[in-house]
Amino acid sequence: MEKGKGRKRFLFFCVAPAVLLFTVFMVIPSLNVFRMSLFRRSAYSPTEEFVGLENFTKLFGDANFIRSIQNTILLIVVVTIVTFGFALVFAGILTREKIKGQNFFRVIFYVPNILSVVVISAIFSAIYDTNNGILNSLLSLFSPEKVAILWKGEGMVMTSLIIAMVWQAIGYYMVMYMASMSSVPESVYESANLDGAGRVTQFFRITLPLIWTNIRTTLTFFIISTINMAFLFVKAMTNGNPNGASEVALSYMYKQAYTNSSYGYGMAIGALVFLFSFALSAVVNKVTERDALEF
Amino acid sequence: MKKFLALSMAAVMAASLLAGCGGSGSGSGSSAVSSGSAGGGAAQTIKVAAIETAYGSDMWKEVAAAFEAETGIHVELTTDKNLEDVIGPAMKAGNYPDVVHLATGREDALTETFIKDNALLDITDVLSMTVPGESAKVSDKIAGGFTETSLTNPYGDGKTYLAPMFYSPCGLFYNAGLFEEKGWSVPTTWDEMWELGDKAAEEGISLFTYPTTGYFDAFFYALMYSVGGAEFFDKATHYEEGIWDTPEAQTCFDIVAKLASYTEPTTPAQANDQDFTKNQQLVLDNKALFMPNGTWIVGEMAKAPRADGFKWGMTALPAVEDGGDGYSYTWFEQAWIPAGAANPDAAKQFIAFLYSDVACEIFASAKNADGEPTPAIQPVLNIADKLEGDNQLFYSIYDNGAKAAMGNFAATDAIEGLDIRTVWFDPVNSLVAGTMTEQQWIDGVKDASDQLRGALK
Repeated sequence: MEKGKGRKRFLFFCVAPAVLLFTVFMVIPSLNVFRMSLFRRSAYSPTEEFVGLENFTKLFGDANFIRSIQNTILLIVVVTIVTFGFALVFAGILTREKIKGQNFFRVIFYVPNILSVVVISAIFSAIYDTNNGILNSLLSLFSPEKVAILWKGEGMVMTSLIIAMVWQAIGYYMVMYMASMSSVPESVYESANLDGAGRVTQFFRITLPLIWTNIRTTLTFFIISTINMAFLFVKAMTNGNPNGASEVALSYMYKQAYTNSSYGYGMAIGALVFLFSFALSAVVNKVTERDALEF
Repeated sequence: MKKFLALSMAAVMAASLLAGCGGSGSGSGSSAVSSGSAGGGAAQTIKVAAIETAYGSDMWKEVAAAFEAETGIHVELTTDKNLEDVIGPAMKAGNYPDVVHLATGREDALTETFIKDNALLDITDVLSMTVPGESAKVSDKIAGGFTETSLTNPYGDGKTYLAPMFYSPCGLFYNAGLFEEKGWSVPTTWDEMWELGDKAAEEGISLFTYPTTGYFDAFFYALMYSVGGAEFFDKATHYEEGIWDTPEAQTCFDIVAKLASYTEPTTPAQANDQDFTKNQQLVLDNKALFMPNGTWIVGEMAKAPRADGFKWGMTALPAVEDGGDGYSYTWFEQAWIPAGAANPDAAKQFIAFLYSDVACEIFASAKNADGEPTPAIQPVLNIADKLEGDNQLFYSIYDNGAKAAMGNFAATDAIEGLDIRTVWFDPVNSLVAGTMTEQQWIDGVKDASDQLRGALK
């Protein structure tokens, strides 16, 4: 009895710091975002004026905000699908096939993930350069004339962001998929072989179903990280230029909250993005629900 | 015993985690300048926060030390390239520095936010104060016009809230060597400009480029002055009803739209904070003739490769018609006192001291981290005489016939989803790319102007 009480107290003191920090640094600020979204104020305002839901109603009439949300959704959809596809295929190849320099490829694919976004943006600034960039120079090899695509121009800037973001994210998800793929027992594949299933069939009928729980988790990661990473990439690579063509929800939030001194309005954007990513994750989680397979 | 150990370990862990949260005020780059001269423990201390720009931060340390030697007031100095991030959190909690040196036009818009919030201290009386260590008044030292603009008197009530600091004439920068080589003369009217544009196009050189659309503010202000004079500028920047329908406004829009068609085509794709030096490089490589910029460009591109025979040249904006006035915008920074400052009186003394001969000298001999001279020029009388090299040429632009344009759009309450740069200047990127028409741009400006008029301070 005495021992149980002591144990509980010990657990309490172990957990308390984390709970306290989580509350102070996560829960309270998040609630504060929602509170401030109902006020007209700047970041440093000593005073604030309650405006109810006015910030939210204004948002729906703000063409720049709508464009930034469209860009965000575009990134979430395209970056997720492309990264997901590449990461799965590469992970499948690197775990199931015997190819030379496997470890080398693992490292190479993972490297972009440990680079800072600022470094990545500098790399891609050189790749996308119109006159001397790698991309235009490469394309010029296959064209009779010098190719001068404006990769960061209005028409291509979102594509350029997508390429950079996919390049950065593949390694991370590949490693996650590889971890769960390597725990699928070899015997399952052997018996499939005996039944005459080819590699592609094995991939779709064995590998995918058996790592499904892992895939579901990563889909939530995709949504949250794309929203966050998009801000970093936009901030470092284009800052929303040219003329707002590459603005995403969080970069627009930053501009409104600080550059335009409308902190309350910015917090309203933050609150919407918060709810949006929560809802989207919930939907994706629900849609991908399957009975867990065991092996 | 074991239990006690476990408990105390947990307590230590909790305490050590929380300890990280304490200890505010000593952020990065913060350094208290110690003083031997001012004795006694009761000496006053003021907190000064200054942005570190191309001029470096050493000059601030020297000025703080000189101020301390002169007045005995301690200066706790904070300088940082991202000053907003360093002093911002404390200010949100209500702890303000006594003096802030931070210009408008930065992305975090801290200064603009303080203007919009009416959170600046009225420093009109500083102008009639005597400069510490001298017999002259502050107003006698500051050059004419600097304390009469909307950048220093944001509310248009004749009261000064921001002190003018380091100024720089802005204009069109070009390769003077190329002009000599080709025998071209620098255009003095826009008609000559377009002629030159056609001539240059035959040689495969574009007439114009710009680093980012942010550089269009100085350009557009000077343009408004040269088209309609001070009266038009004043009305336009106060969003007067119908002002954007006047022939003067139409001329401004037409010139920018026409200039867009003469702009180097890769410019918009590089007009961001990451790649803007590539646009500046276009001028160094003789791929574009002119770009709007400020005197800092020389230091900024000091290490960049350049065409043979390259020589910096700078000209004011051409006049609209023959015999008209060419204008060069005077860009300057601001220092101010937050209304919540704890030591307003000592802070005012510090600001007055910034115009002393000692301080001006220190600022003018500033060097950047590479040891290159990067003179920060205070807006005091007769200072341009002491300059050397390129800077002497640049700062004498007003002696050579160009008129000075000063001021900016009048302060308003914040309007959600609407800021000047997005509406007035960012569309230039789209004009160059051809994805937006001049009329769409004008419509956007008119609509924004109507909203801003209602929010005027």
